[in-house]
Amino acid sequence: MIHSLFLVNSSGDIFLEKHWKSVVSRSVCDYFFEAQERASEPENVAPVIPTPHHYLISVYRHKIFFVAVIQSEVPPLFVIEFLHRVVDTFQDYFGVCSEAAVKDNVVVVYELLEEMLDNGFPLATESNILKELIKPPTILRTVVNTITGSTNVGEQLPTGQLSVVPWRRTGVKYTNNEAYFDVVEEIDAIIDKSGSTVTAEIQGVVDASVKLTGMPDLTLSFVNPRLLDDVSFHPCVRFKRWEAERILSFIPPDGNFRLLSYHVSSQNLVAIPVYVKHSISFREGSSLGHFEITIGPKQTMGKAVEGVLVTSQMPKAVLNMNLTCTQGAYTFDPVTKMLSWDVGKINPQKLPSLKGSMSLQTGASKPDENPTINIQCKIQQLALSGLKVNRLDMYGEKYKPFKGIKYMTKAGKFQVRT
Amino acid sequence: MPYLGSEETVKELKRALSNPNVQSDRLRYRNVILRVIRFMTQGLDMAPLFMEMVKASATVDIVQKKLVYLFMCSYATLKPDLALLAINTLLKDCADPNPMVRGLALRNMCNLRMPGISEYIQQPILSGLRDKASYVRRAAVLGCAKMQNLQPDAEIDGAVVNELYGLLRDQDPVVMVNCLRALEEILKKEGGVVINKPIAHHLLNRMKDLDVWGQSEVLTFLLRYRPRCHSELFDILNLLDSFLGSSHSCVVAATTRLFLSLGSALPAVQSGALERARGPLLAACNAQSRELRFVALCHVQQVLRSLPGHFGAHYKKFFCSYSEPNYIKFRKMEILVELVNDENVGTVLEELRGYCTDVSPELAQAAIFAIGRVGQTYSEKCLSILTGLLELKQEQITSAVVQTFRDLVWLCPQCSESVCASIAGCEEHIQDSEGKQALVWLLGVHGEQIPGSPYVLEEFIDALKTEQSPAVKLELLTATVRLFLSRPAETQDMLGRLLTFCIEEECDMSVRDRALFCYRLLQCGVEEARRVLGGPKSDPSLGVIAGRPEEPINSWAGDFNTLAPVYSREDWAALTATTGGSPSLIPLVTGGAAQADLGSAEEAEAAGSAAAAAAPSPPGPSEELCLVSGPPLSPELFERRWLALEPSRRVSLDWPGGDCLPETLQAALQLVNIQALALSRPHARPWKAYLYAHSLGTVVLAELLRDTDAGGLQVTVKQDPEREEALSSFLTVLKTVMQTLLNSRASLSSHN
Repeated sequence: MIHSLFLVNSSGDIFLEKHWKSVVSRSVCDYFFEAQERASEPENVAPVIPTPHHYLISVYRHKIFFVAVIQSEVPPLFVIEFLHRVVDTFQDYFGVCSEAAVKDNVVVVYELLEEMLDNGFPLATESNILKELIKPPTILRTVVNTITGSTNVGEQLPTGQLSVVPWRRTGVKYTNNEAYFDVVEEIDAIIDKSGSTVTAEIQGVVDASVKLTGMPDLTLSFVNPRLLDDVSFHPCVRFKRWEAERILSFIPPDGNFRLLSYHVSSQNLVAIPVYVKHSISFREGSSLGHFEITIGPKQTMGKAVEGVLVTSQMPKAVLNMNLTCTQGAYTFDPVTKMLSWDVGKINPQKLPSLKGSMSLQTGASKPDENPTINIQCKIQQLALSGLKVNRLDMYGEKYKPFKGIKYMTKAGKFQVRT
Repeated sequence: MPYLGSEETVKELKRALSNPNVQSDRLRYRNVILRVIRFMTQGLDMAPLFMEMVKASATVDIVQKKLVYLFMCSYATLKPDLALLAINTLLKDCADPNPMVRGLALRNMCNLRMPGISEYIQQPILSGLRDKASYVRRAAVLGCAKMQNLQPDAEIDGAVVNELYGLLRDQDPVVMVNCLRALEEILKKEGGVVINKPIAHHLLNRMKDLDVWGQSEVLTFLLRYRPRCHSELFDILNLLDSFLGSSHSCVVAATTRLFLSLGSALPAVQSGALERARGPLLAACNAQSRELRFVALCHVQQVLRSLPGHFGAHYKKFFCSYSEPNYIKFRKMEILVELVNDENVGTVLEELRGYCTDVSPELAQAAIFAIGRVGQTYSEKCLSILTGLLELKQEQITSAVVQTFRDLVWLCPQCSESVCASIAGCEEHIQDSEGKQALVWLLGVHGEQIPGSPYVLEEFIDALKTEQSPAVKLELLTATVRLFLSRPAETQDMLGRLLTFCIEEECDMSVRDRALFCYRLLQCGVEEARRVLGGPKSDPSLGVIAGRPEEPINSWAGDFNTLAPVYSREDWAALTATTGGSPSLIPLVTGGAAQADLGSAEEAEAAGSAAAAAAPSPPGPSEELCLVSGPPLSPELFERRWLALEPSRRVSLDWPGGDCLPETLQAALQLVNIQALALSRPHARPWKAYLYAHSLGTVVLAELLRDTDAGGLQVTVKQDPEREEALSSFLTVLKTVMQTLLNSRASLSSHN
C-alpha cells in the first residue's frame, strides 16, 4: 500500500526516507519538487500528485512535507489519515515534530516507522501499544541511558495485544484512581461587515485521561444530549446504548484518549463569544488611512475572555501603521504586511481598542478590499454550545475513583470581514 | 554533509567498527553504528562497511540489532554475497525465546530482498505462522507475501495459501487483516483473495475488533462479496450501519462505498447511505487537516453529480475561509456554483463577489468564471456584479469578466444588450491574449450594438505589429470582416490595412491563410460573405448540454473512496490510459471506465468547438435530442457516429399500444447498462429513442422508432467496431427489458 515515505523540508531537501517494499529512487520526488516550486506558498502544494509510475500523497505539517509514495490504487483518505497519525505519533514522542527533532531522534523515528508499517500496511498505530514497544525519549531517560547503556526498547511485548478488549491492556494498576474529562469546543465563524454571522460552527471534543485499576465500566450522561447532532465516538463506546438512551457507556482505554468529537452547526445554537467594532478606511488619492478596532465580549455567559490575539493581513499598499492601543501590544511587519495585536484578557468595563493611522504608498490606487480580521481567544469553564455533563458512574470495580471535568472554549478559524 | 569527503568518513568509521576496544564497550559500539545510520540517511554510500556491520548484528542489544537490520535491508541488494553471512545470525534470532526478537528477525530477513534468500526464509516463515506470539505471526503472514514478491514467476504454493486462509480465523485481528493483505498479493494473478460467504460473515463479525486501518481495508475487500438474498443483504447493512458514523473519514468513505455497491440495484439503500454519510462527510470538509478537507470536497463533488440538492442546506459550509490554500478554494467555488438555488443565490453571489478581489489572480479569475456559470441561470444578478467589477479597472479582473461576458452572451442572448452597454472602455485594461480574444469576438459579433466598436478594433489593428499572439490576430481578422458587413463605412479602411499587413508581413502561416481566406471570401461578394460569416449569435441550447443532467449513482459508485474523484474525469482517463488502469473491484465499473474515456475526449472537443461554433447548428432530429442527454457519450459524438455507421441489424419488437414513461424506460435500461441518450415525449409520433451501450470493447448504438400506434417498435442497431456476439447480446438484453416492462405494466393495470 504505502511503498515509501520521504520527509521533505520547505526548502526542498529530503532529510529522511524509509522504504517498506523495494527501494524507490529519490528521483521520484522530482515531481513533488516541481509542484513545490510552482506553488507560491508551501500550503498550496496539492496533496495528491500523479507521476507516470507512482502517486505521491503528501501532508504538510510543522513545516515538513510527509510524502508517501503509492504504487497502486488506494483510498486517499486512508493514506492521508495515516500520515497524520505518523505526525501525531512523532509529536507525541518528541514533544515537537520539527526537522531538528526528527534528525536528533532519527533512530527512534526509524524504529517507529518500522513498527507502524510492515510491507506497506499499517501495523501498530495506537500510542498506548507503541509506547510499550518503544519507550519515548525523555531527557531523564537519555541521561540514564548514556550512563547505564540501557535501551529505549521494551523487552516485553505489550500484553494489550492479546487482551479481549483490544484498546485496553489487562492488569492495569494505579494507586490513585482518577478519571478526568475535558470538554473542549472550538468555534469557527465568519462574521460579515455589519456584524451578522455568515457561518458559525462549533467543533467539540471530549478528551479523557483515565487512570483506573482493573477493567472499569464507565457511564457518562449529559444534561442536554440532544444538542449533539453529529457525533463520532472512540471505538470503546457502545453505540446501541447511545442510540437508545443517549448515554455513553464504555470500558475506557488506559491513559489519554479522545472519547468523542461532535459538531454543533445549527445557527441559533452557536453563540458568538466576541464582537469587533471596526472602522477602516482608505481615501482615494490620500496617503493616509484611518484604522480603528474595538473588541468586546458578546455571549460569554459571564465568563472572562482570555488570551485574545488579533491578526490581520493588510493590503499591499499599506507601508506602515502608526497606532496606539489601550491594552496589550501590537506589531506590524512592513514586509509581510501582517498586523498582530496581543490583547490578553478583555475587561468588559474598559474595552480594549486599537486606533491610529496607516501610511499608504503614494500614487497607488485605493485597495479594493478591506482586510479580514482573525481572532484567537480562550474562555475557561465554558462550553459555548451549553453542553454539560450530568454524571459519571463506574461499574465493575470496587474502589471509588477521583472524577473531574473541565470545560474550555477556543476560537478556531474565527474571522471578521471589514 | 560533504559528499566528496565521504571516503574519509567511511574509512574512519570502518576503523572504529573493527576496533576491539570499541566492540567491547557496548555504548561506544552503538554510537558508532548510530553515526553510520545517520550518514546513510543523509545519502552517503555506506555500502563498504557492510562486512563490519554484519558482525555487529551478533548482539543482545535490541536497539543495536534494529539498527544493523535497517542497514542490512538498505544495502543487501548491493552486496548479496556478504548478506548471506548475516543469515546465520538472523536464523538464530528467529528461534530466540523473546518473541520481540523472533518477530524482528523474521521481518527483517524477509525484507532483505536479494536473490537466493527465499530458500533460507521459507522454513522460519512456516514456523512463524504457527508461533504462539501474535507479534511473530503478523510478521510471518506478511513474510509469505514478501517471499512471493521475491520470485514473482514461481509457482504459488498451495499449502501456504491454505494455511493463510486458515489463519483468517486467528484470534488476533491484525493477523487476520494481514492474511487478507498477503493473500491479495500472492493471488494477484488469479484475481486476489476470494471472499465467499463464510469468510465474509467471519469478517463482518470481527469488524469491531479491528483498528481503523483494518476496518477500512476489510470494507474494501467486502466489495467483492455479493449477498445471496435480500435478507442477508439487509443484515450486512444493519451490521455495518454504525461505521457510517465513525470518527475516521476513511472508514466512513469505505463504508459508504460498500453500501453504494451493495445497493447498486436498490436506489433507496444508496440514497439512505449517502444521507447518513452526509454529516461525517461535511465534518471531513471542515477537518483540521487541509489535505483531508480537500479529498472530502472532491467526494462531495462526486455525490453532487447525482444528487444536486444533497448539500443544498449546508451551502455555507463551502464558503472559503481566508487562510485556506488555493486548491481547496477552487473546489469550494466549484461546489458553490452547483449548490445555487433560488433561495441562496443572493448570498452565494455576494460571497463569490468577495473572492473576485483576492490577491491571487488565478483565484480571482476562477471566482469570476464561477459567477459566469451561475449567470447561465440567474443572468441579471450576475451581470450587475460583473459590471461592477469592471469599475475596479484591474487588469486580470477585467480580462476574466470580458471572457465571462463572451460565454454568457453565447448562451443567454438576453444578456447581450447590457453586456454591450458595459464593455466600452475595457480595452485599456486588458493585456493578456485570452481577454483580448474575448473582447475582439464580442466587438465583431455584436459590433452594431456597440457604438465605438470600429474605433476599438482600429486600435488593435494599429498595434498589430507588437501583438504576439496569433490567436488574437485570427480573432481580429474574423471580427473585422464581420463588423465590415454590418458597419462598412467605418470599417472599410482599416480592414484593408489589416488584410495587407496579414498577407504581406505576417510570418504565422495560419494567420496569413485566414487573411487570404477572408480576402477571397470578400471577393465573392458581400452577400456570400454574410452567408458564410453570419451564423447565429447565440445558442441557448448549448447551455442545456453544459448544465449536466443528474447521473445515476452507479456511474461513479465504484470510484468512491479511490483516487479517481481527486482528479477531474479527463485527467483520470489520461492517467489510467498510461498506467494501464487500476484494478477495479466491481465488474460493473469496467464499462464505466471506457465510457469516461470516450466522454472526456468528447468534452475536450466540445469545449474547442464551443468557441468556434460559427458552423450552422446540426439540423433535423438533433433538436429533439437535446431534451435529454447522457454525459459519457455526448449527443454530437453520438450523431457523428450514427451518421458514419451502416446499420448492422434491423429488428421489429412487439409493443402493443400505449407508451411507457421515459423515466421508467430510462431507469430500466440503466439497470442493464444501456444508456438512453434521448427519448421523445410519451405521445409524440413518430416516437423515437436513441440508446447506446458498451460491450466487449465495442459501442452499440440503437434507435427505437414507433411510427403509428398500431405498429410495433422498429429497432435499428449500429455498431463500431463490428462484433457479432456483442450485437446479439445487446438485442437479447433489450428485448428482455421491453418484455419486462410490458409485463409489469400488464400486471399493474390488472391490479387497477
